[in-house]
Amino acid sequence: MSQLKEYIKMAFFNILSNKIRSLLTMLGIIIGISSVILIMSLGNGFKNMITSQLDSIGTGQIAIMSMSDTDLITLDDLEYIKENVEGIQSYLFTDSRQGTISTPKGDFDAYAYGCNADNYLFEQYSVLSKGAYFSEDDYENGKMVCYISEDDAIKLFGNTDVIGMTVDINIQGRIVEYRIIGLTTFADNASLVSYSYENAPIYLNVPLTTFESALGLSLPEDTYAANLMLADGADSKSTCDEVINILESRHNCKGTDTFQIQSFSDYMATINMVINMITLFISLVAAISLLVGGVGVMNIMLVSVTERTREIGIRKALGAKTSSIMLQFLSESAFLTMVGGILGILGGYVGAFLISQIVSLVAPTYAFTPSIGVGAVLITTLFSSAVGIFFGIYPARKAAKLSPIEALRRM
Amino acid sequence: MDSLIHIEHIMKIYNPGENEVRALDDVSLDIQSGEFVAIIGQSGSGKSTLMNMLGCLDTPTSGQYILSGEDVSHLSDNQLSDIRNKQIGFIFQGFNLISNLTALENVELPLIYRGMPAKERRECSLEALKIVGLEHRVHHKPSEMSGGQQQRVAIARAIAAKPPVILADEPTGNLDSGSTKEIMKILHELHDSGRTVILITHDDEIAANAKRVVRIMDGKIESDFTKEQ
Ligand SMILES: Nc1ncnc2c1ncn2[C@@H]1O[C@H](COP(=O)(O)OP(=O)(O)OP(=O)(O)O)[C@@H](O)[C@H]1O
Ligand SMILES: [Mg+2]
Repeated sequence: MSQLKEYIKMAFFNILSNKIRSLLTMLGIIIGISSVILIMSLGNGFKNMITSQLDSIGTGQIAIMSMSDTDLITLDDLEYIKENVEGIQSYLFTDSRQGTISTPKGDFDAYAYGCNADNYLFEQYSVLSKGAYFSEDDYENGKMVCYISEDDAIKLFGNTDVIGMTVDINIQGRIVEYRIIGLTTFADNASLVSYSYENAPIYLNVPLTTFESALGLSLPEDTYAANLMLADGADSKSTCDEVINILESRHNCKGTDTFQIQSFSDYMATINMVINMITLFISLVAAISLLVGGVGVMNIMLVSVTERTREIGIRKALGAKTSSIMLQFLSESAFLTMVGGILGILGGYVGAFLISQIVSLVAPTYAFTPSIGVGAVLITTLFSSAVGIFFGIYPARKAAKLSPIEALRRM
Repeated sequence: MDSLIHIEHIMKIYNPGENEVRALDDVSLDIQSGEFVAIIGQSGSGKSTLMNMLGCLDTPTSGQYILSGEDVSHLSDNQLSDIRNKQIGFIFQGFNLISNLTALENVELPLIYRGMPAKERRECSLEALKIVGLEHRVHHKPSEMSGGQQQRVAIARAIAAKPPVILADEPTGNLDSGSTKEIMKILHELHDSGRTVILITHDDEIAANAKRVVRIMDGKIESDFTKEQ
């Protein structure tokens, strides 16, 4: 085995003495590895960004669903759960109606978004910037108040100085007037959801009870799906079990899967899985270029064997065994691809870093930091060496099998 | 029989069947340790074929070759590599140095394949280079040396591992008369220090350096003559 060191040294010096050729040979590997690393570190960085944003948005939210057409979740159920389950802080119960709003600034499509007073708890990607949300009292009494986003305020009135002003919304031919009591703006963490486009409808967040009192609509009493908010520090698993228990006993359907729960971490897992799949897929495509690089290495090694036939003959005459020649040429191709792999890793990471810098300049809200794990780097390095060994075997065998007299005869 | 080299009824036939060439045709030869033998013959007479056989680079079609008491006629490639490494020092007409290695690195090659540790290897190689008078050229590449110097590096490489047999195939074929004298002087010195030197040549003048001259023709030994002192 002490000889192995010599072969590696020989391989190293031979690569050094053919710098340009070695670099060109490595190029295929460099491109292959750097694309894989680039894609993986972009994918990871992007995933981290989404995870951290969704993390802060979705914490504590639980979605409950009814899988049955007859046993829907009623408002009473939700009220009961809020009162009796310690781990549940609140619930969200909403309905919305389409309408239009006309102001001196123009005519707008709009939605009256009726909700309970706890709605703001669920709106974790927006924060209050002025005024107040409507209160439990406003809700109970069906007060004609609303809160809107700053963007919508600017659309409607051209400025955000709108607290106390009223908006008239025309819903199915009935015009009702809401007084603006609060303004919201996007939270810092909301770059993913903070889109706004030219003709996006205006949203008035109003007490759901006003649908009945002002519009004469009957309020929905049940729903297929509703959101619950965990209390601070509550254990989501046991709380979820408790909620399901209560629903099943209230609807007399114990042990059936009528009611199901999806917590936000389930969604996150799904999103992560999708990103992982996309990253893996693109990485695989990039890995094909590695194969092409490997063939390039094989090609050059074959040329090298032909060129160095005489050298091989000399070495054999001096006592090199088949295995010695084999090892020498294998070390050379493995070394080439390993160095190519390392350069590729550096190149890929630098590329990903540059892309992230460009993104943060062009679209700061989507800024992310590329990241790549030690494991991935190790695996990539090993893989590229393996490519070198695999594609080096044929040329190395060809070299090792040369008969010394044949090899020496050639000039 | 305690000969260093003992070959008996060696045949080497190329292209058996039609067009066959009997490069060696029933050759028997004994060489004792410490001899200085010249093998002489015209072009195509079979000198290189005999040298390949003696140097364990090739195996005979038939016949027996016993080297240092071991039958090497039918060994595998890897076993022959081992024998060459331990028993034979080659000197070729075309020097056969590896061009991107320095003189020292070239001399070290057979020692690497012998598995000698780096420090010892370096000492042996430097010593061999000193014997051929090249201690001031150890870090030069072959392309930076004259033909005579390159052949001296090749000789150093042949003797570094201290093999019992030194096989030289037309060692002066590519050299001018000055370098030829130098090389022959070194071969004489090696012989004087107790080594067995086998010199292959087509030149009578060169062959005259040796005490014993074996003449071959058409693959057969024509004469075997030892000078009296
Ligand atoms: N690989 C081979 N295949 C067929 N014939 C061969 C082969 N090698 C040598 N020969 C033949 O064997 C004979 C002896 O060749 P060899 O090379 O031993 O001659 P030589 O005495 O060394 O000649 P020179 O002085 O020109 O080097 C020649 O006739 C040659 O053509
Ligand atoms: Mg010849």
